[in-house]
Amino acid sequence: MLKVKLEIRAIYTIIVCLFAIFLILPLVVLFIRSFETSQGFTISNYLSILTNNDLMVSIWNSIKISSLTAVITTILAFLLSYTINFTRVTRPLKGAIQIGILIPMLLPTITYGFAIMYSFGNQGLLTKLFGRSFFEIYGFNGLLIGYCLYTLPPAFLLINNSFKYIDKKFIIVSKLMGDRTLRSFMNTIIRPLWGTLGGAFVLSFILSFTDFGIPASIGGSYSVVATQLYQVMLGSIPDFNNGAAIAVFMLIPAVFAVFLLQYLEKFNFHYDKLSEVELLQNRARDVVLGILSSSVLLSIFAIFAIMFVAPLVNSYPYDLTFTFKHFTDVFQSSDLVNVYKNSVIVALLTALFGTLTAFCAALLNVRTPIKGKEALDIFSMITNTVPGMVLGISYLLLFNNSSLKGTFAIIVLCTIIHYFTTPYLMAKNSLSKMNLSWEMTGELLGDSWFKTIRRVVIPNSFSTVLEMFSYYFMNAMVTISGIIFLVTATTSVVASKIKELQHFAKFNKVFVLSILIFFTNLFVKLLCDYFQKRRLKHN
Amino acid sequence: MLEMQNIGKKYDQKVVLENIDLEIKTGEIVSLLGPSGSGKTTLLNIILGLTQMDQGKIIFNGKDMSTVPMKKRGFNIVFQDYALFPHLNAYENIIYGLKNKKELVTKKELQEYIDFLGLNPHLNKKIGELSGGQKQRVALARTLVTKPEVLLLDEPLSALDGVIKESIKERIKSIAKEFDLTTIIVTHDPEEALTLSDKILIINQGNISQFGTPFEIINRPSNEFVKNFILKQLEIKRQNIYNLFSEKYA
Repeated sequence: MLKVKLEIRAIYTIIVCLFAIFLILPLVVLFIRSFETSQGFTISNYLSILTNNDLMVSIWNSIKISSLTAVITTILAFLLSYTINFTRVTRPLKGAIQIGILIPMLLPTITYGFAIMYSFGNQGLLTKLFGRSFFEIYGFNGLLIGYCLYTLPPAFLLINNSFKYIDKKFIIVSKLMGDRTLRSFMNTIIRPLWGTLGGAFVLSFILSFTDFGIPASIGGSYSVVATQLYQVMLGSIPDFNNGAAIAVFMLIPAVFAVFLLQYLEKFNFHYDKLSEVELLQNRARDVVLGILSSSVLLSIFAIFAIMFVAPLVNSYPYDLTFTFKHFTDVFQSSDLVNVYKNSVIVALLTALFGTLTAFCAALLNVRTPIKGKEALDIFSMITNTVPGMVLGISYLLLFNNSSLKGTFAIIVLCTIIHYFTTPYLMAKNSLSKMNLSWEMTGELLGDSWFKTIRRVVIPNSFSTVLEMFSYYFMNAMVTISGIIFLVTATTSVVASKIKELQHFAKFNKVFVLSILIFFTNLFVKLLCDYFQKRRLKHN
Repeated sequence: MLEMQNIGKKYDQKVVLENIDLEIKTGEIVSLLGPSGSGKTTLLNIILGLTQMDQGKIIFNGKDMSTVPMKKRGFNIVFQDYALFPHLNAYENIIYGLKNKKELVTKKELQEYIDFLGLNPHLNKKIGELSGGQKQRVALARTLVTKPEVLLLDEPLSALDGVIKESIKERIKSIAKEFDLTTIIVTHDPEEALTLSDKILIINQGNISQFGTPFEIINRPSNEFVKNFILKQLEIKRQNIYNLFSEKYA
């Protein structure tokens, strides 16, 4: 094994310090503050939560609606993945599903709410199309639709990926053994996917439970824990200590979820060897699943379509003459242009430094023998557990009086830490698959460690690096829950500005800004995809 | 000449190697033969400079190498799985080390190595397009062009199939001869060891069981281990092959 060199130690020290200061310390402070009251350290903050009826109702509401979202999302994501992997549905439709499903990921969740309002509201596009309103959208129904839109893409990505590791040969074997349809389905599809399906459920639950954007826009009078927390922290009578206690409360299901995920990991199994086997013909299966998947996809399109229509007409839905006025308004407002610029700067810095951090951490963990590398896995587990809002509040508590307050740096750092887990795991996965003798070989051929990393390891993980970059960039563009407590007038980003515009009912501006985010993300995504493809061709 | 004097190594109190005393002449092929866990790979890593020994000395051409770091020993290794860089083609892999030390070989010499290993038709191929034997030769070329003083090969034949195995064996022999290159090979296969090398070091439980030429080992096994584990295997193999052929020609 490679020797631990000075440069490896140096990188390790930097990364550990980064997480100590920007993850561990803030959480410790949060925890301490949650016990602080004017009478010293007591548990009265917690007692006041437990006796506060409104708050308890909101927690219960959150649990209810998040569970329901998780069930719906997991089923839908499974159906879509099944259609793509195990049916003979026409290829273009499969392609459309795989791309279309990702649309919500390109937008801030706070936009979802406004899109739903403009689609299903009394004057909404879909309401008009069908000539009647379906249901009351403010509150439970709207939230449910929003959460499903939000959690469907990640749940789909998770399940779809696992589908690739199911050996189709076993379906043939099961059929030959005389299994009936249900038994065959349970044994060859549900059983291998069981861990993943559980994972998708937990992921959807946690995402819904901790999201702030959707309830902020369409929650109505249905109170959930995220909006309650915001009220306590930044409402008319801010109470930081009480807020800290609520944040700790919010952590509980997240911690629980992480343990559940680890338990579910046991159910995952991998076939040693995958064989390509042709799928059996089954016309009924293809038609039914084709229709179901298309309807899911069309619903997503339908809900977001309004977002692109409304800002292009004079005053939706009353005056439908075409106009660019709302766009020119935004571009002429130096305030909004600046906000957009801020967002792009924050996203670029986050993507750059986030990718660097996650890549180095994974490199140390997988490809060096340094002592204490387990710490990096622990950091990644913690960042996976801590909801953005909780991280944001703990930053607010710790850095409120420091010079970091109101800087881009704190927003970038918060976002890097908040979204650390996925890019870190991406890098770990890719780096561990590479031959572990490369560094040694490089050294024997006269390279320094850095040189081998630059000449060999990075070129071979280039497409993963791009993926990490686009993941960080897109999430930094759309995140609101992590940064809502950290932005100031000068460091405002688009997602937080939308929250402000909502206050003044400037929905056209909201949509124009959302479209800007959408296309910026789309552009970065396509650019990264292009470079990845070129790389693949090149190799 | 490569000398090992009384080399010993422990991992957590467990003796992995002890009393390793050995002389290898320049240009000789020596196989380190032993079952899994016998310590042969540890010895290879000690010679390479990757693993620190607890006691003993390694002396190369009169110079004590014991504390010289891996990079400065001038030895080089070809790994069992070759560790070729997949983003570079065969030629770029071969010249990888030359980018660090340009003066190492002339253009003409480089071409000679490539010709010698029969790699001319494969230079522009990607690593994924090469067969096992071709990968092995590319890895050999990449190592040879750095002009190592001692060539170490870790299970060089284990990933190859039948016919290729024999041709790579010949290739390794001719390399050692052509470049007068001391070559040390780790293997667990007695047949491989005895047909490929000038001398064999049989290691059992961290100790030298026997060190000698193939002739000496076959005719004068020095202990029960060599008899039971090394010769027995060969005898069974011989019997099987005799059976096969006598059946066919009976």
